[in-house]
Amino acid sequence: MNNNLQIALDNDGKSIWKFLISELKPKGKFLTPFNVISIPIIIIGLGLIILRFWKGIGEVSNVTQDIPWGLWKGFNVVTGVAFAGGAYVLTFMVYILNMRKYRSIIRVTVLNGFLAYAFYAGALVLDLGRPWHIFNPIIGNSFGASSVLFLVAWHFLLYMIAQLIEFSPAIAEWLGIRRAHRILSGMTMAAVIFGITLSMLHQSGLGALFLMAKEKIHPLWYSEFIPVLFLVSSIFAGLSMVIFEGSISHKVFFDQISEKNKNAQNGIIRGLSKICAGTMFAYFFLQLLVFVHKQRWDMLDTALGHWFLLEMLGFVLLPMILFFVSYRKNNIAMIKTAAILTILGVILNRLNVSIISFRWDMAVRYVPSWMEVVVALAVIFSQIWIFRWVINRMPVLRDSPSWANEHN
Amino acid sequence: MGIRRRGFLKLLGMTGMTLAVGANAVAVPDIDKEEEFNGILYDSTRCVDCRTCEEVCAESHKLPVPLPSDKIAAIRKTDETCNTVVNTYQTKKGEVYIKRQCMHCNEPACAAACLTKAMLKTKSGPVTWDADKCMGCRYCMISCPFDSPKFEYHSANPKIQKCDMCFERLKTEKSPACAANCPNEALLYGKRRELIQVARRRIYEKPDLYVEHIYGEHEAGGTGWLYLSPVSFDQLGMNISLQQTSYPSLTKGFLYTVPSVFVLVPTLLLGIYQASKNNHLNPEKEDE
Amino acid sequence: MDVFSYSDIFATKGIEYLIIITFLALLVPFWLLLNRQVRISSQVNKALGYLSANILRIPHGLFYSKNHTWMYMEKSGAAKVGLDDLLLHITGEVKFSNLISPGEFIRKGDLMTQIVQKGKVIRIFSPLSGKILAINHTLNERPGTPNDDPYGKGWIYKIKPLNWVEEVKKCYFAEEATNWSAKEIERFKDFMALSMKNCSFEPSVVVMQDGGELCDHSLSEMPGEIWKDFDTDFLNSN
Repeated sequence: MNNNLQIALDNDGKSIWKFLISELKPKGKFLTPFNVISIPIIIIGLGLIILRFWKGIGEVSNVTQDIPWGLWKGFNVVTGVAFAGGAYVLTFMVYILNMRKYRSIIRVTVLNGFLAYAFYAGALVLDLGRPWHIFNPIIGNSFGASSVLFLVAWHFLLYMIAQLIEFSPAIAEWLGIRRAHRILSGMTMAAVIFGITLSMLHQSGLGALFLMAKEKIHPLWYSEFIPVLFLVSSIFAGLSMVIFEGSISHKVFFDQISEKNKNAQNGIIRGLSKICAGTMFAYFFLQLLVFVHKQRWDMLDTALGHWFLLEMLGFVLLPMILFFVSYRKNNIAMIKTAAILTILGVILNRLNVSIISFRWDMAVRYVPSWMEVVVALAVIFSQIWIFRWVINRMPVLRDSPSWANEHN
Repeated sequence: MGIRRRGFLKLLGMTGMTLAVGANAVAVPDIDKEEEFNGILYDSTRCVDCRTCEEVCAESHKLPVPLPSDKIAAIRKTDETCNTVVNTYQTKKGEVYIKRQCMHCNEPACAAACLTKAMLKTKSGPVTWDADKCMGCRYCMISCPFDSPKFEYHSANPKIQKCDMCFERLKTEKSPACAANCPNEALLYGKRRELIQVARRRIYEKPDLYVEHIYGEHEAGGTGWLYLSPVSFDQLGMNISLQQTSYPSLTKGFLYTVPSVFVLVPTLLLGIYQASKNNHLNPEKEDE
Repeated sequence: MDVFSYSDIFATKGIEYLIIITFLALLVPFWLLLNRQVRISSQVNKALGYLSANILRIPHGLFYSKNHTWMYMEKSGAAKVGLDDLLLHITGEVKFSNLISPGEFIRKGDLMTQIVQKGKVIRIFSPLSGKILAINHTLNERPGTPNDDPYGKGWIYKIKPLNWVEEVKKCYFAEEATNWSAKEIERFKDFMALSMKNCSFEPSVVVMQDGGELCDHSLSEMPGEIWKDFDTDFLNSN
């Protein structure tokens, strides 16, 4: 009830500009542990970005002629986007399958997805040698339609628009624009369907990027099925991230969440763990099928073979079992542990395909420089900052004002 | 830029007309009229490691002058300052030399990978790079099985550097710089079809001199640069386990299913949505 | 396999993407049109004052008894009962009399209320046995409430049922309720035709127009004898 009051107070009588400016002022404590860590990293990161544009990518990054893609593409883009997959899975569940249980977390997940794509597209731009030409494939200067990267780039763009439309009712509620809210709520279904289609294609597309590097990726990770495996793993990667990030938001933004949603939290986490367990079961067997199909037995007894087994058994099979057991026993702490293991597993898998097993035969291996790591972290922290700014102002975790509920 | 858009619209119109008018008008390649690829045949037995090709290449592309032979390693790679190298290998048949550069594949992985068509396979054969289009994403470098494109990592306006078969020079001259200046005719420029016939004849006439394999005839679906060697190619640092079909065909499976997914998935989702909508239970009506 | 000239395995990609964009753009109006047709005809019916199956509201979560009463079990364990949309469309605005006070017990089949319009009466029998917990006072304070909102604000009683499971077994639910309502409209049309013949009553208002369209609030124009027949022959015939 007092949420309504807060939004009404923000809007009453003030013009839209004064409202926006007042919203820009920081809210809450300044010296939280997160701020203390993230602010210096973001500042150093900004400095490094300037250096990168001034002196070239090689100045900051350890990529070479033989290993052209490093941490920014391999981690921020290929891995980060997998975790934003929670948005398309949850919108499918809530809007298409009408699973009302998950309605309360849909907005925060879509917000996270949108911010992830926006920032990781930014990270992609950082890793471009000549980013001012990025408009070429968009404005039609030349469409390289034969390229998987063309598809991925366009899908990123379109998907960000779709997610913005899905999230825009929250913005309309924040600004108090009722007519826009009605129009935007009507467009949600179309945006959701479009978004799910796009997501499926570009999650698998990120895998398809590596299809032409047949001899360059270690045979334990290369197969024609990379796109399918990336698609399936994006499902449980996204949901594990929803569980992980949801647990954190639950603690940090405790005062915003309504009583009903607080009580629903555990039920939601449990439901998601069931879906994760099922998807990982399928994924494990998909990997097994590909393994047999490619006749990879002989490769297991090497260093990389052991690494592969670690990824499969330790970070796919194990968390799957944990999800399964903790769902049956309703052990929330175990579910959260399983989610963290899954997240690490997906990071491992994505980095394995894109960086670690790429040109594994080179004498000089690629190791990211501290500067790359700082910039990668700066991108992630900036995303969290914007996330926090939005949560504190817009009705994402809070309930919507009452006038909005007629349209939803 | 406008030309490309017009060209695309022309293609659209022509396709539409063709579909409307002639179902039988399938394009049958007319061997006389269609432009054929040019290529270069490199015969290692004729190479004497004078490295003139390196010098004229650097000169015509405004690259740094190559260092003299006593100041360099026997085996080098091309890089962002150097389009081609001649490497020396010690084999059972003595010293064997091999010139390395971009292979100008028939269906290049780099051209398929490039999302702005900066890497382009021209109809006459050379694979060229367009500075006005390139974004520097380096996806071509990931895809190329020969690691030909090299990137200027330490420049604020980086180029992709690789052999372009002297595409500009060919507008006025008869052959690329390296082939025109090779003193021992180790490099032969001509139609790829004819070069393969020449290579086959050389092998047939001197079976003891050559290994019976033309590298580049089928590797990666066939390349514009063809090689003849006295020893097996793996001894010369060439990758003999490359696939015999083109690399872009590896992404064919994925890219061909994209349109179908775009049509089927939204329809399926609408169907599931409709089905699940009828399972609504009337939400509890509150008294307030 | 020898390749000597230019070929592009992705030549048609551009056109394919254009076709996809066209498809998606056309999908929206296609879908909307497909779904809208049904709604339009029902709105036309309402506008013209016709009663037809597709203007009826029949929520799927309620149980419907043969005498056109509905029942709904709330979280608290109390059951709400009321009259369904079809019956109210047939009768029009009515008052409720002979309401039973809270605290009383009622059995299934007992007289639960009588709906009255200008002296004409129809008896409504209870679909449930149990204890009356509450009456809805807005029924007579604001008549017409059940017609506007028969399943929400138009409830009649809150009952604590004694035999819920047994008594709802014979009721209609979800899909069956929709199908049953459509059949009941046809049955009512037959009833009206028969009934007017028997009474030899010349209606001042034409009830059947255009080959069998039923007017909304048909019974409100009818005399008391037809109401009696409706009560005994149509509503409470079993």
